[in-house]
Amino acid sequence: MSASDASSHRSFQRERVGVTATLPLPGLVALDTPRLACLLLAVEPRLRGVVFAGAAGTGKSALARGLRSLRPEAPWIPLPLGADDEALLGGLDIDATLRTGRRVVKPGVLARAHGGVLAIESLELLADSATNLLLGALDDGEVRVERDGVSERAPALFTLVGSYAPAEGTPRPHLLDRIGLIVLVPPVAAAAARAEIVRRNIAGSPARWADELDSLRSLCEVARANLATVRITPKQQRELIAAAVAFGVQGQRADYFALLVARAAAALGLRDAVEREDLELAVRLVLLPRATQRPAPPAQEPAASDVPQQTPTDGESADEGDQSSDAPQPVEELFEAVVVELPNALDTLPFAPQRRGRSGSRGATSGRRGRHVGSVPGDPAGERLDLAATLRAAARWQRVRRREGTRVALRAEDLRVKRFQSKAGTLFLFAVDASGSMALNRMREAKGAVYALLEQAYVHRDQVALITFRGNEAVQQLPPTASVELVRRAVDLLRTGGGTPVAATLLRSLEIADRARRRGTHNIVLVLLTDGRANVGLRAAREDVDTEVQKLAAGVARAGVRSLVVDTQRGFTNQGTASRLAGWLGGTYLYLPGAGGQTIAAAARDATTRKERSSSSRS
Amino acid sequence: MPDKTRASTAPAGFPFTGIVGQEDLKLALLLAVIDPGIGGVLITGHRGTAKSTAVRALATLLPPMRAIEGCPYRCDPAAPDLDCPSCSLGTNAKTRRRAVTLAVPVVDLPLGATEDRVVGSVDIERALIDGVQAFSPGLLAAANRGFLYIDEVNLLEDHLVDLLLDVAVSGVNVVEREGLSIRHAARFVLVGSGNPEEGDLRPQLLDRFGLQARITTIVDVAQRIEIVRRRMAFERNARTFAASREGEQDKLRRRLRAAIRRRDGVALSDAALSAAARLCEALAIDGHRGELAACRAAVALAAFDGRRQATPADVARVAPLALAHRLRKDPLEPAGDDERVRRVVAQVIPA
Repeated sequence: MSASDASSHRSFQRERVGVTATLPLPGLVALDTPRLACLLLAVEPRLRGVVFAGAAGTGKSALARGLRSLRPEAPWIPLPLGADDEALLGGLDIDATLRTGRRVVKPGVLARAHGGVLAIESLELLADSATNLLLGALDDGEVRVERDGVSERAPALFTLVGSYAPAEGTPRPHLLDRIGLIVLVPPVAAAAARAEIVRRNIAGSPARWADELDSLRSLCEVARANLATVRITPKQQRELIAAAVAFGVQGQRADYFALLVARAAAALGLRDAVEREDLELAVRLVLLPRATQRPAPPAQEPAASDVPQQTPTDGESADEGDQSSDAPQPVEELFEAVVVELPNALDTLPFAPQRRGRSGSRGATSGRRGRHVGSVPGDPAGERLDLAATLRAAARWQRVRRREGTRVALRAEDLRVKRFQSKAGTLFLFAVDASGSMALNRMREAKGAVYALLEQAYVHRDQVALITFRGNEAVQQLPPTASVELVRRAVDLLRTGGGTPVAATLLRSLEIADRARRRGTHNIVLVLLTDGRANVGLRAAREDVDTEVQKLAAGVARAGVRSLVVDTQRGFTNQGTASRLAGWLGGTYLYLPGAGGQTIAAAARDATTRKERSSSSRS
Repeated sequence: MPDKTRASTAPAGFPFTGIVGQEDLKLALLLAVIDPGIGGVLITGHRGTAKSTAVRALATLLPPMRAIEGCPYRCDPAAPDLDCPSCSLGTNAKTRRRAVTLAVPVVDLPLGATEDRVVGSVDIERALIDGVQAFSPGLLAAANRGFLYIDEVNLLEDHLVDLLLDVAVSGVNVVEREGLSIRHAARFVLVGSGNPEEGDLRPQLLDRFGLQARITTIVDVAQRIEIVRRRMAFERNARTFAASREGEQDKLRRRLRAAIRRRDGVALSDAALSAAARLCEALAIDGHRGELAACRAAVALAAFDGRRQATPADVARVAPLALAHRLRKDPLEPAGDDERVRRVVAQVIPA
């Protein structure tokens, strides 16, 4: 399967078209394996969940909804991406506590999902702190709350239904590891299937599928009832686990999940013994997505030459080669049919070594303004009140104040406001115009600036990202990273020339900034290296390109991104256009002819200390 | 027999002896039980390699302890704490309070815990209802004389790490907040686990751990089959599974108790001491925590094996656990830390 390499720019547009279906589970076209995954989870909740990986519009949401329809009575709790610790864990119910004068605890999302489903879309965007809390709940089936004077344990045995688009990023491997089923949703290629999807979406009324849905439900019930009697032979167990070893799957959770899948699949097939197809399904849904290496082919062929050399990408993953330093083992012939489904480039898989190592970020920030690290006395105007701390501060005076009547007496001096600490540094987002003849120069300068910034990255916890734009698209060459190694390998400009799609660039920048913010980086500086005028629009006709750019630029400014428009070209430049763009962005225009990377880096770093919206200037 | 009653009343956790393989991890935890003074255990390794299962299973082994009844800090009646905010309250030192037998606490510090619950704070409920300013002890109090376990310790908030380091060094938790002023004992064995791929551990915290066990994915198919088989059996019926291991559990419990009794009588041979010192010298390890941890662990190992003397062989066995995480990072060194230690051990301590 060729995992989608469609640029997210395109998938963004596809979403607009709206291929996403309201079709019920039985009505979904060309999604047999994903649908089967839904049924397996309904039969065997110990699989802990299912994650759908696929480009936008491949039916991920429809599958999630389909799963819900299998058990409509179970709680279905969506987890918003921005959820903070308190939302997930719960805590003191301040309102009820004040009203009753007794400590009242309110359950968080994790506890409320007990016995049901926790649904998370765009799993790759989930804040790190939220992911960490999920890990614990998935491990223990319960949630431990130790916050705001509350010390509680609540059952939190839920199944997780998540989805992500591989082109947008990968969820944390630790989270995926704890979820049994990982489904690589194939993009639908066959024209006939595509046509059928549209036909069913337009014409089909959900009622048309009601009977089939009913029969799926009863199938699940029967399978659940028979599950305990399904037999799996020791030889079959050995085959599955040998396959896990051959694929280089890390840890032992996958073995367990694979056995569960094999038995549940047999139960769904109304068989009382596991058969070959059940094992294959287990490999496909559990082991293959966790592959970190290509199994050695059976004897006669030489070692596959197209295996990408898996050098560690940075220091963090440097010392972990010891787990499978031996050569990959040949996988049982039995699974050859599945092995061919391994994508050519293993790095599109979520556990591939290249994707690991979250260098520099330490990933521990969250919330809109960093982590809540404590509270201090203060005026809540313009701050966030910490009610629990306020109550604790007021507590000691209650006996005295009670004489004055009210149940709980708060005074100004009790008020506590939250102090936040954002550990993440700045994301420097370089957007390089590859449309003009001087594009190669600009690229060299951008890379120089990137190196210069990263030299201090560890101190500042900074990251850089790189976009190039030409023709009609803006391409992310480098996701936010602090790894010098990755920068070195970032593609050099191969092709230049063409139009100048400034609007597409701004859109792309917004997407990256948004994702970074969800991951806890709040300082974002956009460094735009261009000299030309925007002449390619997203949707607008040529004469409206400026209006489009202006709107998007305002959006970038509103998003709190600080911008720097750098023009490095000697000789004639169209300063009017570029500085106008800087103005729209609420940023700075710099004319730096022949400036090297160091100069641009210094200017970018200056921008981080600059307050909001300084007026555009020329130098 | 106190062990028996404990085993039957405790909720059936996965038994320690049911864990397949991972001998370094198991040894490090057992040594920390025999001598809490070794200074905590850090477990690092791949996802899904029984890190937290092993720590939680430790609770099924710990011999019970004597404590003063009703004291939230579980003061030791044999060594009364004159500063204990509970035991010293309204009693003079002469009136002894009743002692009871309790399980050694293994306290989880979950991610997302707030500072007030870690150190303890005003009891809101009592303040609101009774208008009394009472101290509600936190997790540090709950872990006193026991184990404090932090899963994913490398993901813990920096400000909580600072706080823990402080308490781990002093053994005392000082609370000065919201008008409270409390000091209480907080001596615990810190056990942390995490995956270094997810984030680094602060060097100061790393150095605080006496032993580090590094574990990797088991690649032996037969062992992996056994792991899954046991997990399935445990899920089918936790009590039956626990009962099936009870013989081994009890044997290990007795062995641990004997080792704890024997520990203080175990002599550290001069040869062993010199071996530890030469190892640290050869590995260029800063400070003396390395030798100390290696020697204490060697003594604990000798006690565990029922011997009266710790030998260079004991030092050699525990050296990777006690020393590998203290090596200076050498970017030019291709071998892993454990491997470097083993190499030097082979040179310094001939078998």
